[in-house]
Amino acid sequence: MKKIIFTLLAIIFSTSALSHGPTPQKVQESVTIAASPEKTWDALKNYSEFNKIMKVRSFKDKTMKIKYELIKTDVPFSDYNAQIRVKKGANDNESIVQWTARFYRTYKLNPPIPEGQDDATAVAAVNKIVGPGLAGFKKSVESK
Amino acid sequence: MVKQKKISIFNLKNSNIFILTFFLIILYFYFSYNFKIDHTSKAYITNQGDNTVSIVDLETLKKLKTLEVGVAPLGITILQKKKLVFVGNVGTDDISVIDAVNDRLITTIKLGTAPLSLTSNFEETEVYVTDWFKNNVLTVSVDEMRVTSSQNVGITPSGIAYNEKYQYQVITNRDANTLEIYDKDHNLVKKIETGNHPFGVYSEGNFAYVANVYDDSVSIINLVDWSKHEFLVGAHPYNVRVNNKVAYVTNTIDDTITIYDLDSKKTIKTLDTGETPENLDLSIKLNLLVVTNWGSDSISIFDTQNFKHIKEIKTGAQSRSFGDFILQ
Repeated sequence: MKKIIFTLLAIIFSTSALSHGPTPQKVQESVTIAASPEKTWDALKNYSEFNKIMKVRSFKDKTMKIKYELIKTDVPFSDYNAQIRVKKGANDNESIVQWTARFYRTYKLNPPIPEGQDDATAVAAVNKIVGPGLAGFKKSVESK
Repeated sequence: MVKQKKISIFNLKNSNIFILTFFLIILYFYFSYNFKIDHTSKAYITNQGDNTVSIVDLETLKKLKTLEVGVAPLGITILQKKKLVFVGNVGTDDISVIDAVNDRLITTIKLGTAPLSLTSNFEETEVYVTDWFKNNVLTVSVDEMRVTSSQNVGITPSGIAYNEKYQYQVITNRDANTLEIYDKDHNLVKKIETGNHPFGVYSEGNFAYVANVYDDSVSIINLVDWSKHEFLVGAHPYNVRVNNKVAYVTNTIDDTITIYDLDSKKTIKTLDTGETPENLDLSIKLNLLVVTNWGSDSISIFDTQNFKHIKEIKTGAQSRSFGDFILQ
């Protein structure tokens, strides 16, 4: 029991400490798609859903990477930059799409951090975009 | 009597063997210690996402060890002569000090504020730490391993570099778009405008080099006549290093480095790195450039003689190493 309490205290302490510094947050998620990397890459370049939330900054055919920046401003995170890349899957007809986002919480000044402007809120908001975004893209590619 | 003599001769031989063995042991330790100091160049990588430092042998290009440090380690500096590594932990507001001979954590210095970047003076008696939130530069005494003074500077002090020639502390103020230069007595020598969002800084001889994140450029500032000029690099440059009149710059959004010739004022090459390359340092002896990749949790290693990629090595989560991170 003592051990459990100690562990819980340690977790609480470490997360509150983490929200203290100038630390960029990272959300990285992958999805496996039943299509060749080439097909997936073509689909990604023409997929309009992502462009509703993000603006394409650059893309590279050689490495199958698209770089995005954010369009929306009414979000609980800031300085958002992301990339989505296509990698080879387990076989020729499979690909992996990986989304990596880098961003900060909205509150940049000295602690205490106001509610809703902390790291956890920012991460949760980005998670809500990335997870469903990838699922929607998978559905779109595999249904074609 | 005869018997006694024999015994004494035996004793003498025996003591000779002891003396010989003793000297051999001393010699062994002497050479192994010196061998280590003369020949091992290592990279110390702060992994902000998993509270560790990865230590990579730059001769064999293999990971040697992973050390647990404080929470969210970011900034780093190395005392080359004293073989000490100072790591700033922004989550626990302290500094982890690593002995670079044995690669062991030797002490933790409490700061009570988030250390963003670190550097030391030439004599290695003091380590300077930028305090992002309270706009200070802290001085840590290396002998005492504690903060001995604190000096107020411009807002959001970010990168800090030490100029050996003039004994200056050179500091970027990210949100003020300025570079501040302080002398060894902590007096402000000059405050000069940079590009937009200055972050990483390097200073050597008569110059300071500043990465302007939002301008996709590097400012070169003359520390004698305060003239300045800029050159363009890739998207969102984070840090810069210079050696043999060549500048190396990390472009965080392009996943590249720019290699720029300061004499001919031309980009020599743009090379691919891992994802979100943030910081970089050079092993002069081995002609290597090491880049930390925050996005792919790795480091990219390049040959600085032919400007070619050699290897990518996995390190830990969110590798950053803001500062000088190579033990030469």
